[in-house]
Amino acid sequence: MLPSSLAVVLTGLGLGVGALAVFAWSWRRGLFDDIPAQADLVFDERDNRLERPWETAEQKEERRRRYGELIAPEPGEWGGAV
Amino acid sequence: MSRQDATLPFRGDVEIRLRADASSRAPALVFFSTALVWLLFGSIEGTLASLKLHMPELLTSAGWLTFGRVRTAHLNAVNYGWASLASIGVALWIIPRLVHTELRWPRVAIAGAVVWNVGLVIGIALILAGRNDGLEWLEMDRYLADPFLVVGGGMAGVTLLATLLARQSGHLYVTVWYTIAAFLWFPVIFVIGNWPTWTGVESAAVNWFYAHNALGLWFTPMGVGAAYYFIPKVLGRPVYSYQLSILGFWTLAFFYALNGMHHLIGGPIPTWMITTSVVASVLMVIPVLAVAVNHHMTMVGRFGALRYSPTLRFVVLGAIAYTAVSLQGSFTSLREVNRVTHFTHWTVAHAHVGVYAFVTMVLFGSMYYIVPRLVRREWPSARLIQWHFWLVLAGIALYIIPLTIAGGFQGLALLDPAVPFQRSVEVTLWALVSRSVAGVLLTAGHAVFAYHFWLMVRRRGPTREVPPFHEPVPIVYERPEAQA
Amino acid sequence: MSRTWLLLLGAAATVGFAAIVLVGIPQVMLVKIAAPPELAAYTDLEARGRAVYIANGCVYCHSQQLRDPAFTTDVELGWGSRATVPADYVYDRPHLLGTMRTGPDLINVGERLPSASWHLIHLYNPRALVSWSIMPSFPYLFEEREPGDVRPGDVVVPVQPPYAPPAKVIVATPDAQALVAYLLSLRRTYPVPAAGTGAMRGMSRMP
Repeated sequence: MLPSSLAVVLTGLGLGVGALAVFAWSWRRGLFDDIPAQADLVFDERDNRLERPWETAEQKEERRRRYGELIAPEPGEWGGAV
Repeated sequence: MSRQDATLPFRGDVEIRLRADASSRAPALVFFSTALVWLLFGSIEGTLASLKLHMPELLTSAGWLTFGRVRTAHLNAVNYGWASLASIGVALWIIPRLVHTELRWPRVAIAGAVVWNVGLVIGIALILAGRNDGLEWLEMDRYLADPFLVVGGGMAGVTLLATLLARQSGHLYVTVWYTIAAFLWFPVIFVIGNWPTWTGVESAAVNWFYAHNALGLWFTPMGVGAAYYFIPKVLGRPVYSYQLSILGFWTLAFFYALNGMHHLIGGPIPTWMITTSVVASVLMVIPVLAVAVNHHMTMVGRFGALRYSPTLRFVVLGAIAYTAVSLQGSFTSLREVNRVTHFTHWTVAHAHVGVYAFVTMVLFGSMYYIVPRLVRREWPSARLIQWHFWLVLAGIALYIIPLTIAGGFQGLALLDPAVPFQRSVEVTLWALVSRSVAGVLLTAGHAVFAYHFWLMVRRRGPTREVPPFHEPVPIVYERPEAQA
Repeated sequence: MSRTWLLLLGAAATVGFAAIVLVGIPQVMLVKIAAPPELAAYTDLEARGRAVYIANGCVYCHSQQLRDPAFTTDVELGWGSRATVPADYVYDRPHLLGTMRTGPDLINVGERLPSASWHLIHLYNPRALVSWSIMPSFPYLFEEREPGDVRPGDVVVPVQPPYAPPAKVIVATPDAQALVAYLLSLRRTYPVPAAGTGAMRGMSRMP
């Protein structure tokens, strides 16, 4: 029976090297190419163009520039009664 | 704009979202409704248990009322009832939204809810009757109750997996990784924890391998995943650094699973196991700070949103609590600190920062966002939302702050051979009373929320003149020409 | 390989690794621990008492483990003569190490409080013996009888007024007797078993 710490180290190395290999292979295959775009998955067009009352004038202008004309929010838009 | 689906017309977006919501409507509502029933039951049991600690003569005449069973019923009801069922409900709504695909086999998910709830009723009834597997967080009978949870949870899990595999969108948003991984992790650790053959100190090691991973690999991913969805969603601003979220996810997966032995520091467990867990517990600051940086930097410059969105209020509070409880946890796992805090109410308070201030707050915020989109009405009363928020905020503050302080003093008293044991009990009494007050406030807040939820699903409450936002309003949509 | 399966594989690998390290490897090591010759397996009565202990949630206020004197003061406090070791728990299924000391540690309570009567009174109403105690009373583990109703073989509990109802005799149920038998069996005062295998090396030092 191997000393336990050696067993732990070997398992850790094995899994760690294996994990890094999978990671590298995924990188090669392009799974990480569009990282910033993946962050946008949460939004649809309406989320992007919704006018948010807490945003400053500059923030709203930035939003207008990037996504187009802003849409007015409906009552209860952000999860609460008006 | 670099979005893959940038050519999708606006109307199509709304349709996707409506279809996703329609598909998850019944299962999510079943999970939410039953979760709230358990929240109310669990809050009452918890408050009762708290009262008994400073009023020990209260209701002692029967076994099902004794502290040791009431406390256990509370723990199982709030963990496997409220927190688990609400988390699954949130997952069933979020995943179809994120993969732009209707939920597959919704009836299977509903059946899963029924099966899980049957298991809970059996398990908790047996606990109150005096039948207990004897392991913290694993008390429900492993033959008569637990299999229901595995099967019921599995049914919900396979519907999510089927939805994922049938998906229309190529990428998987970070919330999806956390959620799917949690559905794999929970049955694995639950079965290992409940396996009947463990004996002696091995039984202890497995017990805390399970119990800590119930927090770290079930509740945490569900809560963190939800926060990664709702904070950007409400703000209309993407996560600050998606690379950081990838790092955060995999370091959480790797380190968190090794934490369990920090519940046994000083105990009759091989040293190397405890050291492994202490090291892993300290290394947890990496994923925790990754998440904290991401959420904070996404919020920065937009904290004004907290005034407008109850969802954000609850979720951001929860996310801050996640950072706090995790850093507290890393700190508490250091041997010199643990020497003082182990066996004291500090740990109980810490557990509630985690399961309540973090997980439960995130779940409240999630439900405030999701439920209107399921029942296609807005919340009838801003007042009730305010009451809910302030009652539970006051409640949890009155819980964790006094009990943490008292736990520290209790630990110091326990360390000193010149101080009689009596002192270690007496220094906690004020905090135990405060906790009972907290329990009343929390229970009241939950009653408010449950009532408000009932109004929603029963379509009571005031109607609005303006059609709710989730109706597709016919808009003639012209894509602006000048796009970078 | 699609992203979904990659994700599931990675998640399985991380939990699998932790299970190997914290469950698998220890299992292989710890099955080698022999029962100390001075430690007897629980008798049927004691085992029943242990089940009563579990059923009533005693573990939520009482621990059953003593930490190394080099690390902390458990032994100095008078809860035992030495730290507890894995061999002390070979007959425990499930473990009852506990995580709270709302009440005192109990691993040596049989040594520290060897009187069955004391335990019976204490269980009936802790405040009859310890005025500041916040431990619950367990009257349902006892029966109230008329004085004439006591039969030979009944275990009468000498509870003093005002803790006993007037003109009644308190008799311990079999569950109460079993629980007390279990508590009295809790003593780990024999010397630490020799650290045999390499796996147990380091157990006597600071954890």
